[in-house]
Amino acid sequence: MATYDFVFESAGLRDWCGEPQQTGPMTMADLLARGATATDSTGFDWGKLWALPFPSLDELNKACAAIPRSRDLTRSLEAGFLNIRDSLRVVLDPLTQPLSWMLEWALHIFAVTPWWIMLPLLLAVVWVASRSWTLIAFVAGALAFLLFVDHYSFAMQTLSIIFVCAFLCVLFGVPIGIAMSRSDTMQRLTIPVLDMLQTLPTFVYLIPLIFLFSVTEPKLYGIAIILYAIVPVIRLTDLGIRLVDKDVIEAAEAFGMTRHQKLVRVQIPLALPNIMAGVNQTIMMSLAMVVIASLVSAPGLGVLVLRGIRNLELGVGLMAGLGIVLLAVILDRVTKAALARVNAASSVPRH
Amino acid sequence: MDQQASISIRNLYKVFGTQPLKALAHVRAGMGKSELMAQHRHVLGLRDINVDMRAGEITVIMGLSGSGKSTLIRHVNRLIEPTAGEILVNGENILTFGETRLRDLRRKQMSMVFQHFALLPHRTVLDNAGMARAVRGETRADYERDARAWLDRVGLGGQDGQYPHQLSGGMQQRVGIARALTSNAPIMLMDEAFSALDPLIRTDMQDLLLELQQELQKTIVFISHDLDEALKLADHLVILKDGIVVQQGEPQEILLNPNDPYIVDFISDINRARVLRVRSVMDAGMAPPSDPAGTVDADATLESVIALSGGDTALVYTVLRDGKQVGYLDMQKLVRALVPTQAPRTSRKKPPTAMTG
Repeated sequence: MATYDFVFESAGLRDWCGEPQQTGPMTMADLLARGATATDSTGFDWGKLWALPFPSLDELNKACAAIPRSRDLTRSLEAGFLNIRDSLRVVLDPLTQPLSWMLEWALHIFAVTPWWIMLPLLLAVVWVASRSWTLIAFVAGALAFLLFVDHYSFAMQTLSIIFVCAFLCVLFGVPIGIAMSRSDTMQRLTIPVLDMLQTLPTFVYLIPLIFLFSVTEPKLYGIAIILYAIVPVIRLTDLGIRLVDKDVIEAAEAFGMTRHQKLVRVQIPLALPNIMAGVNQTIMMSLAMVVIASLVSAPGLGVLVLRGIRNLELGVGLMAGLGIVLLAVILDRVTKAALARVNAASSVPRH
Repeated sequence: MDQQASISIRNLYKVFGTQPLKALAHVRAGMGKSELMAQHRHVLGLRDINVDMRAGEITVIMGLSGSGKSTLIRHVNRLIEPTAGEILVNGENILTFGETRLRDLRRKQMSMVFQHFALLPHRTVLDNAGMARAVRGETRADYERDARAWLDRVGLGGQDGQYPHQLSGGMQQRVGIARALTSNAPIMLMDEAFSALDPLIRTDMQDLLLELQQELQKTIVFISHDLDEALKLADHLVILKDGIVVQQGEPQEILLNPNDPYIVDFISDINRARVLRVRSVMDAGMAPPSDPAGTVDADATLESVIALSGGDTALVYTVLRDGKQVGYLDMQKLVRALVPTQAPRTSRKKPPTAMTG
């Protein structure tokens, strides 16, 4: 006797439902129900009302076998995904293959370049971005420390992955942001996707990706990192362009600029501080994700953290954590310094 | 500079809202601005505007905030599209222009100066001045000489390497004017160009504009909410109220013959002696009633004549233009002209008859 029998009785659907099949595995609730003895009472049973279950799939299934159970739902979801997987791979594999190549190539370059070339090279990049001697001294110190404690190669792996992923985020994110700023429809359609990417727990990205790609391929973690980190650069590009002074845009139009001239000569330069802030966020988020991505074979400092957790090697975990913090501070300070320089160059006029 | 352009606006209507054409029918049937807002949720921007802006003249469009003057000037280069009507530039209706022709018109025929300057903050003063030319595809080498010359002319020599935020407001607007002049366009649209400036700097800029205009003879459309400024600059004055042209004509003419209580109110507080000119109050003719006390120029202000006469109302002056006599000026008539033509609703001033006594 199930609670919702009456629904199917009154609708005359008893035949459609067929006999309850008890061949399938039981749910825990079924077992518990079997243990308890049903108390039949003639009067109104308050206890029964108190325990009235919601007409969920499982409850309805008890009354009518033709209704699927919740576990069938998840199972068919999985089956559906597996069914389209092969055709999806035919499309996605070639599209994403360059990502694998780029990651492998970057990891290789960073690995084979000797430290005494890599170090000055990185410092030169810092100089170009920030023009600050104190920052260079800090970066040099931090990298020297990583070299000294033999975490250098791991740190370089992490760094190379971040470089590739952040570069791709900017490459795709800025145009998407520009498209959003130009069309309200595009913005309305994109924002829910961005919200979803930002709120989904990071592990949830990994589940379908593991099914789609083999764990040995670098693009697996590459895609996870890009999906997670691309959001801020898109959002802030859109915001930055929309915030450009309306008067200046009007002047650009009054002097006969084409849409392209307006974009290149006015909107992007004036939105640059915001875009740079987005790039900073994107880089920081790639760093956060690259650690989690070591669960799916991303090399780098994350692997050491993971080892620390798995084997309860406290020291290994802490040391790798310190390395990640150092990398984070370096990346943040350098991009912030670049941002400050952009800001100084294009101060907004006083009105 | 070598070419001139005239602008004519014909039966121009602008209704803001979701269904402007539907609302336009109500406006044409005679519905007012507030009723249209209350009953149909549409804003009446401009109603039946007819203005001729002659080549080589400064046309000042004046009105208070919300009168539609900024909307009107943006119709001239189609930054705002009208709901109905025609805008003729050199006889061609620019509303029929496609995107390319419109862009060409904006690039070559028109330049614009903005209230808040609207300079590119990331470009130098020189590049800002040459912006219009750069938009046409010229390189810095092409426009550099012209831009520098105009920057010198507006008093910004030697500042070309600065960025706009390093300049004061008045100097930024000078860059804005240099930008408009460097474009070499025959039409200049000036949207409250001097309203954001301090009074003293504003006077400077007005003088600069008049000086440049004498030399360049551009067709200038100037928006202002300041009557003194409008009277100083205008060859042709258009007064807007709630999207309707209340009166238009020569400023002196409007001052002496206001046709609307709104305008009477408007002009009641200005210094008429400083604005009115001898030519507006003189009597044409060759025979003065009595011996003239001296000669005055037809374009002299009444203020200067009063100073000349030492306050004596019994005198009569001969009026000259380019050295030839064009009429005579009776000081009594001059004094009468100083009193507003119609006393405002509450007659706090003595009626004109009391003066003639």
